[in-house]
Amino acid sequence: MRHTSLWIGISMMLLAPAVWADASDGQRIFQQSCAACHTVGEGKRLGPDLEGVTKTRDSAWLNRWIREPDKMIAEGDAIAVRLLNEYGRVPMPNLGLNAEQADAVIAFLASGSGAALPAAATGIAHPEPPTGEGRGSVQNTASIAFLAITAIIVLVFLYVARSTGNPMPVDVQKAYKLRRVFFISGLVIVVGLLATTLFTTPYPDAAGTPDRVVHVTTLQFNFVFTQEPVASAQDLQTAGRIGNLELPVGSTVEFRVTSLDTTHGFGIYSPQGAVYAQTQAMPGYTNRLRVKFSEPGVYSVLCMEYCGAAHHLMKTVFTVRNDDHA
Amino acid sequence: MHEMKKVTLGWMAIVLVLFPILLLLGIFMRAVQANGLANAEEWFYPFMTLHGVGMVGVWYVGAMACAERVIARYTGSNDGLSYVAMGGTVAGVVLLLVCVLGGKFASGWYFLYPLPFKGTWPIWSATTFLLAMTVMGAAWLVWSLGLLVGIARKYSLSHALGWHYIGGATEPDVPPAVIITTVSLLAAVASLLAGVVVLVFFFVELLFGIRSDALLMKNLTFFFGHVLVNLSLYLGVAVIYDVLPEYAGRPWKANKIVAISWNSVLAIVLMAYAHHLYMDFVQPTSLQYLGQIASYASSLPPAVVTIFGALTLVFHAKMRWTLASGMFFLALMGWAIGGVGAVIDSTIAVNAKFHNTLWVPAHFHTYMLEGLVLMVLGYFYHYVQEHTRIPESGLVRILTLGLFVIGGYGFLATFYLSGANSVPRRFATYPAEVAHGATDSAVGVMFAALFLLGLVVFTASALRRWFRASSDG
Ligand code: HEC
Ligand code: HEM
Ligand SMILES: [Cu+2]
Ligand SMILES: [Cu+2]
Repeated sequence: MRHTSLWIGISMMLLAPAVWADASDGQRIFQQSCAACHTVGEGKRLGPDLEGVTKTRDSAWLNRWIREPDKMIAEGDAIAVRLLNEYGRVPMPNLGLNAEQADAVIAFLASGSGAALPAAATGIAHPEPPTGEGRGSVQNTASIAFLAITAIIVLVFLYVARSTGNPMPVDVQKAYKLRRVFFISGLVIVVGLLATTLFTTPYPDAAGTPDRVVHVTTLQFNFVFTQEPVASAQDLQTAGRIGNLELPVGSTVEFRVTSLDTTHGFGIYSPQGAVYAQTQAMPGYTNRLRVKFSEPGVYSVLCMEYCGAAHHLMKTVFTVRNDDHA
Repeated sequence: MHEMKKVTLGWMAIVLVLFPILLLLGIFMRAVQANGLANAEEWFYPFMTLHGVGMVGVWYVGAMACAERVIARYTGSNDGLSYVAMGGTVAGVVLLLVCVLGGKFASGWYFLYPLPFKGTWPIWSATTFLLAMTVMGAAWLVWSLGLLVGIARKYSLSHALGWHYIGGATEPDVPPAVIITTVSLLAAVASLLAGVVVLVFFFVELLFGIRSDALLMKNLTFFFGHVLVNLSLYLGVAVIYDVLPEYAGRPWKANKIVAISWNSVLAIVLMAYAHHLYMDFVQPTSLQYLGQIASYASSLPPAVVTIFGALTLVFHAKMRWTLASGMFFLALMGWAIGGVGAVIDSTIAVNAKFHNTLWVPAHFHTYMLEGLVLMVLGYFYHYVQEHTRIPESGLVRILTLGLFVIGGYGFLATFYLSGANSVPRRFATYPAEVAHGATDSAVGVMFAALFLLGLVVFTASALRRWFRASSDG
């Protein structure tokens, strides 16, 4: 199949973040800030394939471009404008990197190790990204309830449609009586379901303290885990980035989720590929999402609120470990 | 033979032209998600925006145009008002096309603050989009208020809302279509006013740089969107209340129960919007509970009164089955099924898993595509068919309804399946975690193409009657 190589490429990209811990600074920055739109030697995505770019462009141009592409486009830099037109007029965003960070990325790009990224991982055994059925028990129950009620609705409509083959007057009083029965049983079901489900909420209660607090900052098109809260792009440098988040199995973790630009979604996928827990990431607010991890494995985080051109590429992973060294 | 209104034929033409185009954009999106159009990926989100805004708008104006024609029997008609709304709608569509095709504007249909200002698109395109929304919002607000005034000329507000039935009186006779349309128009005014406030906040930021509160904007935005979509369906239901009895040969009158039901719908639908913010944990928890209670409660009146009423109307009736009456009957079924999908997702515990997965488009496409679309197209068809009385071909009827059902529900099934399997909505392509979404998309494309085929067959026979009717008119 002609998509196979594409899929291998994409899966490699997805595996890549797991190796931040052992990779150079430049590689880590690339994974966090650039991989949503670029590959090295795996073909173009939203932006160009960056393989060999350090040979075709001079390093001063590259450094400035990586720091402030918006200004260069505004100034009408010839290369910038040509690239912009070539790439469907989707401009590369200003990612707030400083000159050293830009140099680190350039060094990484120049090292030519990009294509071999995941393979170059040393130490950590490759965690597989979640792939599987994607249904947990809530999803199963909801789907079955939906199918069952839908089947009843269809049967009733079919039955009524068929009855018109045999026209006769209907007894209105009988219909009203049936309606009353229908209403009362409907009411009982609705109230019963409300009573059993209403208080099962994901909202953190005041009681109880989590085993660990992790701050999550979202920005187009990244998730950043930190030790300390982040209120602005500057804080990202000082808040203690957690490059490779590992959590002990059985722990209750509170994610404090916010956004530096537009609304994003923080959607945790279980090792089986099912939505495990989620909350929205909103500018100016911090949503506290408490999650108990009872199963070890690699959890992915996907963006669950549309946030612009690379929304579907915005992702990260973390690991829940069985042993206690985490 | 009733008189043909040019303005209604005009609305019918607008809907028949825009629907297939917007539908093709839907098929395009599903094809991209199936990895079938690798080079066109950059157009996914702009076209998603165009498809979403376009569809919501088309079916809202379509439902308004039908309800306006139906209640004109009782309240008299005001074609000038309708033309104003049409002018505003067309101007809005043009602006929308400019910002999406020219600026790749892609905020999604509900343009959640502050995304329009944070995109990869130029600022002029965001401004143009906001202008498009303003023009349409203003025109529709005038339309809704104008129709309310028209109703008020004939009925007092308490009669138009059927309060005298609730009080135990049986006179004066107010047709259900009038009661439901009044309820819907009041909801429309509330919804559009919320929309206007959102737009004002956007323009304040654009002009003066004053930022808005993201949570407040989200509440307003979803109040606007939720109410607008629901009231569009209510307008469609008002039309069915009026027209289905003609095919069943039995009356369908307002009474105490009908009045109570629709008045409670008005109150409940305004509160149920809160189910869109379950995953915003900073929202006051009492509002979250209110959201679930109101969402559950909103299922009872339509199920017990409207669906039940429609089924008793048809049960053992000497039914005149035609393309139009078949579409109305199926539309009620689609509304009910989509409603079930919605109520399930409005359970907070379920929403924690389903929020922003494809389950969401699954359920709203059900009551739009297999509900409102059939109501509005069914009424337009009925309108020109009653006038022209061109004999209806049984083959065309079977083909149209069959393709609508098989194509539509097959397409919807792929959304539900993906949603249940955790595939997120609004992903141009799917990462490895949810790669199975691509397979579902490919199947979805095929079924959607069947629906499109049904639409072609339908449009051919509807247009034939349209041309005959407009040359007679
Ligand atoms: C939102 C997507 C996006 C992100 C994130 C992004 N880029 Fe880009 N990049 C682009 C696009 C699109 C272009 C093409 C120029 C344009 O349209 O503005 C581009 C162009 C480039 C170029 C020029 C390539 C050439 O042929 O000269 C370089 C170098 C580059 N990006 C590096 C980076 C680096 C390094 C990062 C991370 C720090 C990054 N980009 C992050 C989208 C992105
Ligand atoms: C066969 C016909 C249709 C097809 C093939 C289709 C297809 C699609 C697809 C693929 C999406 C994107 C789903 C996602 O990944 O989030 C979508 C979104 C949407 N569709 Fe449709 N659709 C159809 C009919 C309709 C109708 C009748 C309506 C009427 C209201 C509608 C309204 C919307 C809206 C509001 C969105 C959301 C846009 C957004 O997220 O901003 N669609 N549709
Ligand atoms: Cu996103
Ligand atoms: Cu809603």
